[in-house]
Amino acid sequence: MFEEAITQNPATPPPGARVLAPEGEPIEFIYNGHKFHIHAIVSRWRESGGWWNRISDGKNRVNEENIFDDGARAIWRVEAAPVGALATFEIELDEVTKTWLIRPTSRPA
Amino acid sequence: MKNFTHLRVASGYSFKYGTAHANQLVERAAEFEMSALALTDIDTMAGAIRFTKSCEASGIAPILGINLSFIQKKYRVTLLAQGGELSSLYRLVTEINLNNSENLLTHLLLERFSQYSRNLLILHGPESQLAQAIASRKSHEALSIFNATRELFANQALECVSHLIRGDGALSTSYAARILNFARDNNLPAVLSNAVRMLDRSDGPVADVLDAARKLVPLSSKSVNRQNSEAYFKASSEMSYLADEISRLAGERDGKYLLKTTADWAERAILSPRKDIGIGEIHLPDAQSLGAKNQSELAAQLRSRCEAGLSRRYIGAKSVVAASRLEEELSAIRTLGYESYFLTVADITDMSRERGIRVAARGSGAGSLICHVLGISGVEPITHGLLMERFCSPLRGELPDIDIDVESARRLEIYGAIFEKYGKRCATVSMVETYRSRHAIRDVGAALGISPMEIDLIAKSMPHIRASNIPKALANLPELKHLNLDTPILKMAIELAGRLDSLPRHLSMHPCAIVLADQGLGDYAPQQINASGYPMLQFDKDDVEAIGLLKLDVLGVRMQSAISYTLSEIERIEGAPLDIDAIALDDKKTFDLIKSTRTLGIFQIESPGQRELVGKFAPNTFNDLIIDISLFRPGPVKSDMITPFLATRHGLRTRPRIHEDLEDILSETEGVVVFHEQVIKIISIMTGITLAEADEKRRQLGDIANQQAFCNWFYPVAVARGYTNLVVNEVWEILRAFASFGFCKAHAAAFALPAYQSSWLKTHHTAAFLAGVLTHEPGMYPKRVILDEARQWGIKLAPIDVNLSGVTYRVERTSDVARAPYLAPNVASSGEVLELPDARGFAIRMSLSDIDGIDSKEVANIISGRPYLDLADFVYRSGASRPTTESLLMVGAFDKLHKLSTSEINRRDLLLHLQDLYRLTGSKRTTGQSQMTFELQAPSLEPSGLPDITASEQVKSEIDILGMDISSHLLEFYGDFLNKIGAVRSSDLIKHRSGTSVLVAGVKVALQTPPVRSGRRVMFLTIDDGFGCNDITFFEDKQADFATVLRNSWLFLVRGEIRRTGPRGISLLGTGAWELAISHDKWRNLAVYGASGL
Repeated sequence: MFEEAITQNPATPPPGARVLAPEGEPIEFIYNGHKFHIHAIVSRWRESGGWWNRISDGKNRVNEENIFDDGARAIWRVEAAPVGALATFEIELDEVTKTWLIRPTSRPA
Repeated sequence: MKNFTHLRVASGYSFKYGTAHANQLVERAAEFEMSALALTDIDTMAGAIRFTKSCEASGIAPILGINLSFIQKKYRVTLLAQGGELSSLYRLVTEINLNNSENLLTHLLLERFSQYSRNLLILHGPESQLAQAIASRKSHEALSIFNATRELFANQALECVSHLIRGDGALSTSYAARILNFARDNNLPAVLSNAVRMLDRSDGPVADVLDAARKLVPLSSKSVNRQNSEAYFKASSEMSYLADEISRLAGERDGKYLLKTTADWAERAILSPRKDIGIGEIHLPDAQSLGAKNQSELAAQLRSRCEAGLSRRYIGAKSVVAASRLEEELSAIRTLGYESYFLTVADITDMSRERGIRVAARGSGAGSLICHVLGISGVEPITHGLLMERFCSPLRGELPDIDIDVESARRLEIYGAIFEKYGKRCATVSMVETYRSRHAIRDVGAALGISPMEIDLIAKSMPHIRASNIPKALANLPELKHLNLDTPILKMAIELAGRLDSLPRHLSMHPCAIVLADQGLGDYAPQQINASGYPMLQFDKDDVEAIGLLKLDVLGVRMQSAISYTLSEIERIEGAPLDIDAIALDDKKTFDLIKSTRTLGIFQIESPGQRELVGKFAPNTFNDLIIDISLFRPGPVKSDMITPFLATRHGLRTRPRIHEDLEDILSETEGVVVFHEQVIKIISIMTGITLAEADEKRRQLGDIANQQAFCNWFYPVAVARGYTNLVVNEVWEILRAFASFGFCKAHAAAFALPAYQSSWLKTHHTAAFLAGVLTHEPGMYPKRVILDEARQWGIKLAPIDVNLSGVTYRVERTSDVARAPYLAPNVASSGEVLELPDARGFAIRMSLSDIDGIDSKEVANIISGRPYLDLADFVYRSGASRPTTESLLMVGAFDKLHKLSTSEINRRDLLLHLQDLYRLTGSKRTTGQSQMTFELQAPSLEPSGLPDITASEQVKSEIDILGMDISSHLLEFYGDFLNKIGAVRSSDLIKHRSGTSVLVAGVKVALQTPPVRSGRRVMFLTIDDGFGCNDITFFEDKQADFATVLRNSWLFLVRGEIRRTGPRGISLLGTGAWELAISHDKWRNLAVYGASGL
């Protein structure tokens, strides 16, 4: 079920990390080839802004729903474990490109 | 609680902060099935009534509050009115505005006005002093802040807000949780809000631009308030999720308790749109304000004043008709209880006249006999068939609207008198300025850091349109095409400007509306002091109408000032006063002038379009003038009433007679239904209902959806009264076609009166009238065109003279021979011979105020120092600055003093002399302060032998310094050229056949691009050539080639095809336009280098 969810369309696999988030909230992810299960969300936050800089940088990623690339992203700081030790990660969803990013963090927030 | 209630919502009325319109927020709440919604704008309640109306329409219960600075500027709280206590909030907001210039609710104010605050709820949100004490872990301090205001409010709550900001600062979840913890620890109520400022997440960029615009800085991470886009209008489920997150972090199981308290607080603050907010109420001035004890005394007062006025204005048989009409009107007023309304307006017009200020009524009020006999309106309603029912009737649930026109120059005197007499019962009304294209482009451009020059260029090229129409304008207007708008940053700027469209930008004072109510005005609306120092309701004119406040528009009309000035000049020159309000309305010479189309300066009929219309129409009576003004309104123009009317009037078409009952009504306007009054009468006659009922039916016709219902009712009733199907059919066709486009005759008649009066003055006192027009500039034409007009009637233009010129334009008698006055070419095709004024023997002396850069104090000093013996004397005593003195010299203000016309000395010698004078007295001399002492004799004035200034140099100085050509017309210098190429004088145009192609030249008077029915842009150019004006129409096919020239040039050579449209109606269809100077140069070069022809 997990594999299906993250590779819905094998022909064009989504770029970025693989995260399972059936209702928008991440539940599981693959990091360094290991499957991690999220035990707890330590905190979550959202960031956006700076769209005006991306125009002059030529990095404006626009699509039909976003005329302005406002750089919106949602971040979860989670405690997750493969089998065994618990670790802390930050999972970020880039809402413009719908790609996931995973960063291990040294300590829980 | 299933559905969340947002207790803190900033709409667009939070100027340059909120991104959503109040109605959008209400609609979203309805979509989310919320039952109540608060509006808590920043520092203002200006959106309250619009918000309430939307709420009522959507079935949402309104809650009203305000977000303001509390204790210190940097701390903000939100106040909410408890149910039934809205007036306490209004009163407190008013007191804050009156007593604190920074909109800051201080502790002192709070204690002083605790009788109001005790009825209010306060939310201590994340920006409050209380929350910040909690965040700094100063619980004791926080508690004492809370306790300090415990007794001063009905209740206090802590407001938890999480915008999911990273970390634990303000607006983070953990910050909200800490506030919740504090509330729980101290057993204080806590509520949840989202501090909403946008409708959707995607509105973030708009919020950023508004932040930058508000702070007047370019966009940067420092200038914007937000770190993400969470301050949007979230649904109940999202709010419930947040409540859970915050509560869990605060150690609770879930967010139920937080949501429950929020719902309880919302419940306490719900207001009734009718009972609390007063939608649909009526608050007229009270009897006491008019010196009466009660309503029946008021009625008696109204009756006795009306009867006195009636016996003054009507005699004989007419007075019997008038008396019975008065009874009808009085009985309607008694039913409505509007006595105080009429008496108050009459009181104000009386106050104006006592001060010698001219007043005229405007609008449908002129249809009421009561308005006429009380002296509010000058037009006699019975003779002109004006109806009271169009203005006010017991069947209509809205307050009638009387507007009065007063002299613009003295309007504020009337304001002063009204405020003095009515005090707390009156206030001015606000006006919401919204973003339109130019402002939007400017603010977005500044925020994005686009160079000011580039932005300025785009903004100035923008027509005055809605910001959302910018892309369309850019695509369609040829003169905007050269702007390179394809860069990403400009594309984005245009997109953003469109998103700012129609957002409120600023609250300013409505230019002319005053609300007059009873003593309780402060309970019905919040007030502030506006920039002019008047108390101003935070509500606009629609809002005050919705809550039943009587609004009186006191409009400053420059024409009334011009007429007043004209009358004073006539009295000064001729030694006898003139009562312009008593002149007969059938003066033939006056109508001759109107028919000649030489109507520049006259009220309402001076525009190019109107000159064309009076030329076609040839009005002969006052009633014709009323028709003329009505035909020129957008409705009649749109439905093309003019063509059939004129065709019948000039006998080119025979009008079918529909039915003898309607003959009186229809014959007035040649069978075309022009007036609302006609529609009312037709309906009333054919169906037997009263005029008041018929007016209700007429209103129904205005709405296409209701037309069928009208038709279904009309046919059987009219047939039952004996009209044949054929007649009913025809009438229905007319009603359907014209009813919604007609114009209120009373309104037109009210305009026709000053139009006639100004025509009469121009005819019989041409110089005094034009001096009035020059002094008060009532119309659309620049002064130089009016000056030229004066010249054409044989009036001398007397130059500025240091000993003779005044602050204003003054009339002088003169024996100088001026040029022969204009005579209308009475060629066969132009109809009857017209008798036109001859104003020879008069001069208009130019005013000192027109000198570029002169100020009113300088003018006063110059006048008080008179007479001056010579230039040196003037320099020493007048207190005029050096540039002013030089300007005066250049325009000839010393010519007479130094007898230049008969002496050796010329103006260049005077200039040299002036330099000597200044060299001698040193450059330190400042205006009128230090007394000059002469150690040396003043330098002597001698002829230098230099040539005098040429005529063209003279005109150039006049244009530079005064902005107008006085000594000769600008075009005279091109005389040779224009004669050679066979250009036609405007006054000779009428001698040419329709369809001829001609060349004309002139100075730009006006360029108009009015919206037209087809949506295709038409440019109307008016130029003057010293013999009158030419009006040239350019259609779209010519604009690509000539729009830029038309916009940017001043002197034109134009090619056009003549269109004859009536006895004296003439216009040109433009086929080419060039800059005159360039054409002239080309011609001269050709002449010099021997090429042939132009």
